[in-house]
Amino acid sequence: MGKIVYDVQYQTSMAFLISYYFYLTGLSAGSFMISTLSYGFGFEKFKPAGKIGVVVAVILLLMAPQFLLMQVAWPIKSVWNHFVYLNPVSAMTYGAFLLMLYPVNSIIYGIFMFKGNKKWTRIFGTIGIPLALAVHGYTGWILALGVARDYWNTGLMPIVFLFSAMVSGISMMILLIMIRDYFFTKSRDVNYDLIYSLAKILGWLLVVDLFLVFCDYSVLLYSKLEGQEVAHFMLFGKMFLGFVVLENLIGKVIPLVIVMVPKFRENNYLLILAAVMNMIGILAMRIVTVYGGQVLPLM
Amino acid sequence: MSKEKKDTQLPRWGMVIDLNKCIGCHTCEIACKVQNDVPLGIWRTWVKEIEKGKYPNVVRAFRPTLCNHCENPVCVKVCPVHASYQREDGIVMVDPHRCVGCRYCMAACPYEVRYVHPQKGIIDKCDFCYHRVEQGLQPACVEACPTSARVFGNLNDPKSEVSQLIATNAVQNLKTDMGTGPRVYYIGLDQATMEIKREVEFVWEK
Repeated sequence: MGKIVYDVQYQTSMAFLISYYFYLTGLSAGSFMISTLSYGFGFEKFKPAGKIGVVVAVILLLMAPQFLLMQVAWPIKSVWNHFVYLNPVSAMTYGAFLLMLYPVNSIIYGIFMFKGNKKWTRIFGTIGIPLALAVHGYTGWILALGVARDYWNTGLMPIVFLFSAMVSGISMMILLIMIRDYFFTKSRDVNYDLIYSLAKILGWLLVVDLFLVFCDYSVLLYSKLEGQEVAHFMLFGKMFLGFVVLENLIGKVIPLVIVMVPKFRENNYLLILAAVMNMIGILAMRIVTVYGGQVLPLM
Repeated sequence: MSKEKKDTQLPRWGMVIDLNKCIGCHTCEIACKVQNDVPLGIWRTWVKEIEKGKYPNVVRAFRPTLCNHCENPVCVKVCPVHASYQREDGIVMVDPHRCVGCRYCMAACPYEVRYVHPQKGIIDKCDFCYHRVEQGLQPACVEACPTSARVFGNLNDPKSEVSQLIATNAVQNLKTDMGTGPRVYYIGLDQATMEIKREVEFVWEK
């Protein structure tokens, strides 16, 4: 309609540090879920993934908030003020509590697991599942409550975040279990039964994830102007490489084909490739969502 | 959406910007920078300029932009530490001692008027020059405006200039669909200056 002669430059409020934080929390929540499949729900097949899952979940969740604290200008003040000046209607308030509760619960759960106490492992595993859902769901919720951005402001956002978390977590578990079994056991005997079961779960979660992306974009393309613009920006604009190619083609569609076709799935190299590609794709998803969602100016 | 203040004795500060009078001189920007010691690279208020039409039928449209001091501010809702708050007289403020610089309010503000202060690391924005208002003075941008395009006053007082301007002119707010209840009113606002800039190009980018 016109040419801008003068306008100020807008600052980006959240970018890569927050994306990495979301990514690591997602990996942590995903590996915790795998860990509870045997110890919380009793699927004996997944027992070899239990201990490695909880160890990785705790390590990643101790790493993740470092990125958050780097993003915040006043890290120590931020921890203190979250408790002293608590605002119950802010999504970020709950994040502060969850980021403390979830690792503590995971550590207790891990200790009971390593000690072989089945009853308490199951109890803390069961408590951990809603916590893991919440600790990652809230990250999507934070974005969804950033009401100014049409790309974020959708009820699907926490669910999209949860599914991408589980997907990337399973990919990471597949890689880690292969590495552990091949390099750190005397027999070098990879537990293929477990790996293929995880790959099948990965496939179905990828189907749900792609379906959610389809729902989100089909609604955006029909919604009001700003929603349409941001959808075009993602699909055909500057985010094409990040969103279409890296996130969905490399990160989801190709891994989905590999894990769903038995011939490809049973080829180790292809399965490793699928898992790596999926992990890269989900990292791209975090960056595209956090950074790409707010790169378009509002006014 | 907006909640009515029961006590009409309290002032409710607001601003009317008459764009028919605005000449796009950017004096308000400079006055604000000087008054509030705003560092390089950030602005508490600025004049967005749009050029539209084809030569010889061209027109420039201006839109002075500042915090809308909403009745129902999103930034106050999302702030995890209550650093963004609304005063009794409606001015939306940032408490520099509480703000931790998480930038959530920046992401949530529909008007993109919040900035990170490069030296302090906290969020900064227009505060209607409350230190001047409390002394009975006008905000710096209002006082500096050479054409009196900006008018500041008490919206609760029906005799104030702002109330009369709102009552007698066609006025618009920005983004009323967000339910924020902005308290900066524009007379003669051009559609082009409200549009998102992705379809238009920066002149200097060519």
